[in-house]
Amino acid sequence: MRYQVRHVTKYKYNSPAELCHNIVYQCPSDYPFQKVNSYKYRISPEPNYEMNRRDFFENQYLYFSIQKLHKELSVESIAEVTLEVPQWMKVNPLETQSWEEVVEWLRTPEAMNDTRQFYLGSTNVELHRHYKEYALESFMPGRPIMAAMMDLNERIFNDFKFTPGFTDISTPVSEVFKTKKGVCQDFAHFGLACLRSIGLAARYMSGYIETIPPPGKPKLVGADASHAWIALFIPDIGWVEFDSTNNLLVSDQHIRTASGRDFSDVIPLKGIVYSGGDQEMDVTVDVNQLK
Amino acid sequence: MINSYLSERVGKKRKFFDEVSDADGNVYPHWKEVLRQFGEMGDESLKERAEDVSRILRENGVTHNVYGDPDGLNRAWQLDPIPMVFSEQDWSFIDQGLKQRAKLLDIVLKDIYGSRKLIRSGDIPFELIYNHKGFLRQLDKLRLPGDQLLIQYSADLARGPNGKMWVLNDRTDAPSGAGYSFENRSVMMQAFPDMIRNNKIQRINEYYNAVKRALMRLSWQDKLNPRIVILTPGPGNETFFEHAYLSSLMGFTLVTGDDLMVSDGYVWLKTIGGLEKVDVIVRRVDDIFCDPMEFNMDSRLGVVGLMEAIRDKKVTVINPLGCRVLENPGLMAFLPKLSQKILGEDLLLPSVATWWCGQKKELDYVLDNIQNLVIKRIYIDSQAKSIWGAQLGEKEILELKEAILLEPYMYVGQEMATFSTTPSYIDGEIQPKSAVFRGYAIADGSEDGYTIMRGGLSRSSKNEGLLMPSANAQSISKDTWVIGDDSTKQTKSIQEKVHYGDWILPSKTAENLFWLGRYGERSIHTIRLLRTVLKRRTESPDIVHPEKDDVLVALLQSLTAMTLTQPGFEEEDTLKSPDEELLSLIKDTAKIGSLAQSIQAFLNNSYSVRDKLGLDIWRILDMINDSSVRYKQIDDLRVMTSKLDNSLVRLMGFHGMMVDTMTRDDAWHIYSIGRFLESSINICVILKEVLKKDYPIEVERELLEKILMVNESLITYRYHYKSAIEISSVISLLLINETNPRSLTYHLEHIQKELGRLPSKHTQYLSSIQKKLLKASMMVRLCEPDQLVLVDKEGSEKRVNLINFFTELVQILASVSTDISSQYFSHTTFHAHSNSTLIPEI
Repeated sequence: MRYQVRHVTKYKYNSPAELCHNIVYQCPSDYPFQKVNSYKYRISPEPNYEMNRRDFFENQYLYFSIQKLHKELSVESIAEVTLEVPQWMKVNPLETQSWEEVVEWLRTPEAMNDTRQFYLGSTNVELHRHYKEYALESFMPGRPIMAAMMDLNERIFNDFKFTPGFTDISTPVSEVFKTKKGVCQDFAHFGLACLRSIGLAARYMSGYIETIPPPGKPKLVGADASHAWIALFIPDIGWVEFDSTNNLLVSDQHIRTASGRDFSDVIPLKGIVYSGGDQEMDVTVDVNQLK
Repeated sequence: MINSYLSERVGKKRKFFDEVSDADGNVYPHWKEVLRQFGEMGDESLKERAEDVSRILRENGVTHNVYGDPDGLNRAWQLDPIPMVFSEQDWSFIDQGLKQRAKLLDIVLKDIYGSRKLIRSGDIPFELIYNHKGFLRQLDKLRLPGDQLLIQYSADLARGPNGKMWVLNDRTDAPSGAGYSFENRSVMMQAFPDMIRNNKIQRINEYYNAVKRALMRLSWQDKLNPRIVILTPGPGNETFFEHAYLSSLMGFTLVTGDDLMVSDGYVWLKTIGGLEKVDVIVRRVDDIFCDPMEFNMDSRLGVVGLMEAIRDKKVTVINPLGCRVLENPGLMAFLPKLSQKILGEDLLLPSVATWWCGQKKELDYVLDNIQNLVIKRIYIDSQAKSIWGAQLGEKEILELKEAILLEPYMYVGQEMATFSTTPSYIDGEIQPKSAVFRGYAIADGSEDGYTIMRGGLSRSSKNEGLLMPSANAQSISKDTWVIGDDSTKQTKSIQEKVHYGDWILPSKTAENLFWLGRYGERSIHTIRLLRTVLKRRTESPDIVHPEKDDVLVALLQSLTAMTLTQPGFEEEDTLKSPDEELLSLIKDTAKIGSLAQSIQAFLNNSYSVRDKLGLDIWRILDMINDSSVRYKQIDDLRVMTSKLDNSLVRLMGFHGMMVDTMTRDDAWHIYSIGRFLESSINICVILKEVLKKDYPIEVERELLEKILMVNESLITYRYHYKSAIEISSVISLLLINETNPRSLTYHLEHIQKELGRLPSKHTQYLSSIQKKLLKASMMVRLCEPDQLVLVDKEGSEKRVNLINFFTELVQILASVSTDISSQYFSHTTFHAHSNSTLIPEI
């Protein structure tokens, strides 16, 4: 499948800003089942300083700063990617190795540190025995890892209520677990907390997904959104992606921009602006399938 | 005292190793001479010299702050007159040991932020690094000019029961104490000049030279004449004294995060003359507070964009961000093997026995022996204190075990070691106390890689034996004497200035100086008016009859107008019994506009610019602080008057010292502008309040006399006019007379003069500030006192012309202050924004 993604973020400041610094994680990276055909961005006003860099997790990001009075800031990213159906779609979950074997394998010298780092706690993903207990209901002794994961995915989907506006970026996992409410990044963080609390390596995926309009309704412009899901490491297969918000095993509809330990590693756009006034933000995302 | 201390310890079964003597009471050679001299001195003399030490420290304003303690700000630094003494032999071992350890840790650091081979091979467990909050991924592939990454290194050392020196902590983020060490030594040189001379105590100066050399060569950009600054969190920080101290000692500008900005990829220092490029930042701000953009977004101590400037090799930060990963008790367990593998040497300075729970065997050991161990997390901060197993109850132990089992690699167990004792002079007695020594290494490109300070900061805890040291209120510092021939080459003095071209004034410092001037002057005016009010108060009955006492009412209301305190004397109740409100107006620090608050603000601003003020000025500030603290205990207005006199003289003394000692540079101009501006506003406010009504002639005479007193112009008046006091002459003297230093014209002229000396971009046209000042000057010079005092209509007592005139003047002057702030000071505040809500629609 080929997709075009257009992601526009606009800020309006009440009083003019004189200087701002920003980091943008919106450039899709190459993944085994994703090829980036093109990527371009437009920033207005034009930055005085811009630098494309790669981070510790091999994600590409953009650093820019603007030093002139401005009342509006607009960051537009346009990417075109080709997605393939991943190998893991063909795997029989019941034939994967037991999850305990994976936990053990991760602690052998064979496992690379780049992989192992994802079983540790991180800024937004604290480990706790409560998450472990929740996870163990799916990860029963000896159960094949992928089957267990699909079960966990489904339980999160059923137990948690998708509630936009209830949480924000500072909401801790414990709060999400208590209220069982949140949005995609909360479910992703909770899933990571479960998996890491039982010793598995799992990482946060940031990207986009196409919205399918209700039957008979036209698709609205700008109604798509950035999305978050998780990837679990299974030695025989690699990183396998799961979307708890939609109870899906990720196939060829998820466009990946970056992956990290949690949201804080790959925030789509963050910045600091020197200005006195309030600000308004407006984000639109369009994901279109190309024929 | 020394002799009885020694004899008491002979033959006693000792729990701890003693620095001074062996079990039979034989004093070790390196202590012998030192102790003999302390003994010869006699108890009286020792007591006197100990008092000297405290006095000098107090007078030098040596302080440290204690977080979370309301009275913890500017606590006096304590120095034990009895030093820690090391023999030449001991020292050579410590010197080698510190160099070796610094070298080893530097290699480990380069590996962590480089190829990570040591982690891949398992020589350093990966969890120990990847889990540590000090491992900053943003610093991956970090390089500095030269071979080293770990530039400053400190270690806390103590002597264990076997007589060997052990390392308790590695300090690699922003090690503190080198400034206090220098100050300790200079105080000891004043209090014990003979002993320092006679005992061949090695000099510590060379270390500071080495620091300067090291920093000079770390600049990426300007190699010849780099601009080096010290980044401090500010006056509230625990060791702010030291930051200011090192800044003047080394000749590096002291800055806070607000003083710096990143633009076009470079780091700039905001000065009142414009932006200056910064090459090297010596930071005293913790790693993750240095750049809110990439680390702790809530931090207001750092510089936005600093991390990107570091990556882009536009600035060097020392110690580099990311060094904190080495402040890791878990790493201690692996250093001996790493030393063997990397350096092919035994580790000279062992660490306290440490079991890292990330390994099965060690985990089991810690769980089984938890009651005999100190449990620490591998990342140490204020939230993760050491836990003493011995102090835990059964339930707490279970909880701790559970926490360890969930993330075993986050914990270590350490032996509860006991440490050697040294004699300490505490409360007039000599007692054995455990001491920790902090050593300092700097990577200055010398042959061994590091230069070690020949001395350091020792601290003794108030407990004997057991200790887990921290620079808290419970410890007392000691100078550290290394005995031996001084082999130091005579290098150039560190006082020698780096040739920077022009001396620069950061905007933030300028702002502090401006407000120092304003609050100083506000305090003086408030006191003068208060004195007059209090004196007049004694002439009226306990319960005032406002309708019969125009003079007192007018004075009280002018006090309210000047201080803007609430509820003030606008209401009948406070006018009838004004004493309570008067007292609170003087001493209530929580009351906005009170005298106590103005003096506090004055002192706070002075602390922020302490590196600009001379020693004698510090003494006066100390006295001002003292006298305002005394207000609190006084509830009697009559007693208060003499205290106010006291404060006034001291405040005037402060200003006198400033006049006498400050160079006439930008700092001086800004301070003067602040003073004159504040004073001008106060003159206008008082004149307006007191003269706004046309009172009967006797009342007016008395009020005029009071105004002259408040403005210190009564004598001048009598000299000039030799007649009864009369309103238009008073106005003329206080407003228009150019020769009277208390007149408004005189003040306005000086503001304009000082302003003209500040750097300015305006050439052809007058700036808005200049225009406003010119307008104020013109208004004053052109005014007709006779016209001002006219009432608006027959029978009315209101002087409308006068009220309008002064109201306008005050408005103009207030807006001059605002304009000065926005033109010369850094007022940019910043907001973090992030694309915070992710709301998918499906």
